[in-house]
Amino acid sequence: MATFGFDERHVLPALRLLPYDELVLLAGRSSLRTKGFARLRALEPDLRAVVVDPFDLVRCLEATCDAIVEAARRGGSARVSVSGGTKILCAAAMLAAFQEGVEAWYCDPDPIRLPVLRGVRLEDAVSDSARLVAGLLRGERSAEELVHAAATHGLGRVAAYQALKDLVRHGLADQRLDGGEVLVRPTAGLEVHRAHFRIAARKG
Amino acid sequence: MTVLFGTLGWRPQSLIPSIRSTEGLERVTFYHSDHAKSRTARGRVIEFCRTLGVPATAVELSDAFNLLQIVERIRADVRRELAGGIPLRFNIAGGTRLMSSAALLTCLLEGIPATYVHDETYEEIPLPLLRMTYADRLTPRQRAILKFLVEHRERAYTESALAKALGVHKATMNHHLRELLDKGAIDRVENPQDRRALLIRAVPGMELLVG
Repeated sequence: MATFGFDERHVLPALRLLPYDELVLLAGRSSLRTKGFARLRALEPDLRAVVVDPFDLVRCLEATCDAIVEAARRGGSARVSVSGGTKILCAAAMLAAFQEGVEAWYCDPDPIRLPVLRGVRLEDAVSDSARLVAGLLRGERSAEELVHAAATHGLGRVAAYQALKDLVRHGLADQRLDGGEVLVRPTAGLEVHRAHFRIAARKG
Repeated sequence: MTVLFGTLGWRPQSLIPSIRSTEGLERVTFYHSDHAKSRTARGRVIEFCRTLGVPATAVELSDAFNLLQIVERIRADVRRELAGGIPLRFNIAGGTRLMSSAALLTCLLEGIPATYVHDETYEEIPLPLLRMTYADRLTPRQRAILKFLVEHRERAYTESALAKALGVHKATMNHHLRELLDKGAIDRVENPQDRRALLIRAVPGMELLVG
């Protein structure tokens, strides 16, 4: 899987260095009309292109994660080269590799392997209980109310408070004291994660 | 109180929204290349910080196209701040692709909240990162083994030599090495002097994980 902009020279070192069975290019729509793409297609007639908006990091991230999951579903394992395309596409692909726990390389021109641990998904660090509490946390509310709501989903009081603590530790929730009451609210980070948690749920 | 880190290219607009939006901003540290346009942008960011009364440190990178060197530099600065216990955030929007990638890599490894600024709308967009040290996804023992292998790259270790060097039982070492192998952190390669023995080595790039 390789990120691609307009110039195939950012992709070729990865193709030479990393063994692969199938090539998937992550690229913007306009990139598919370039001479660079035509030259890559001539080299790899079976290449598959996944069209992304290379200026929208969250969409690029989702598309890359989906492509990695699709590769796994077809029985393969993915290896990502993040040397081509826009800065945003490159960042999204790097993030996707860490999110999904697949090998990632920056090959332009020298190969640099990024320290991704295979099979270790970033969000596995968030427990199922914390995901449940995150799902219930919409807008600011008292921690006590939230714990009650979690109880209706079968989560005990201590486990719910622990889950909330985990969310705060991971930067997914903020808490403050107001008149002796603890109020909690989702952070902007949690809003971004919600979409990703949904991807994980869909895959599961 | 928050310390803001950022990468800067030719457009101060890629960093200024984060300076504006950071609550309790204590100081700003940003990285830029030696290109004349980056230096001009640096001047504008410093001027903007001055009007807000916020101290700013600009770091000129000698080679804005060397990923590992940039990661090393940024990470050292970030770790220094983390040791002080002050919350950090990072804007990775500006600079070369390598600068931005190096900044993201640092944020991933150190668990720092990161944002980028949209090129046209200048809207700040948070990235889905968790505040956790990535190396913590290994157990302390696995980290110790990997760190040892990284620090002794010049020497080749068999499984039993490694167990001896780290004072661990062979069976325990075997268990941890299997885990590290599954996670793609190490390789087993044939010993050219003795084909029956396998040598253990850390895969390239793991310096960034345990360094």
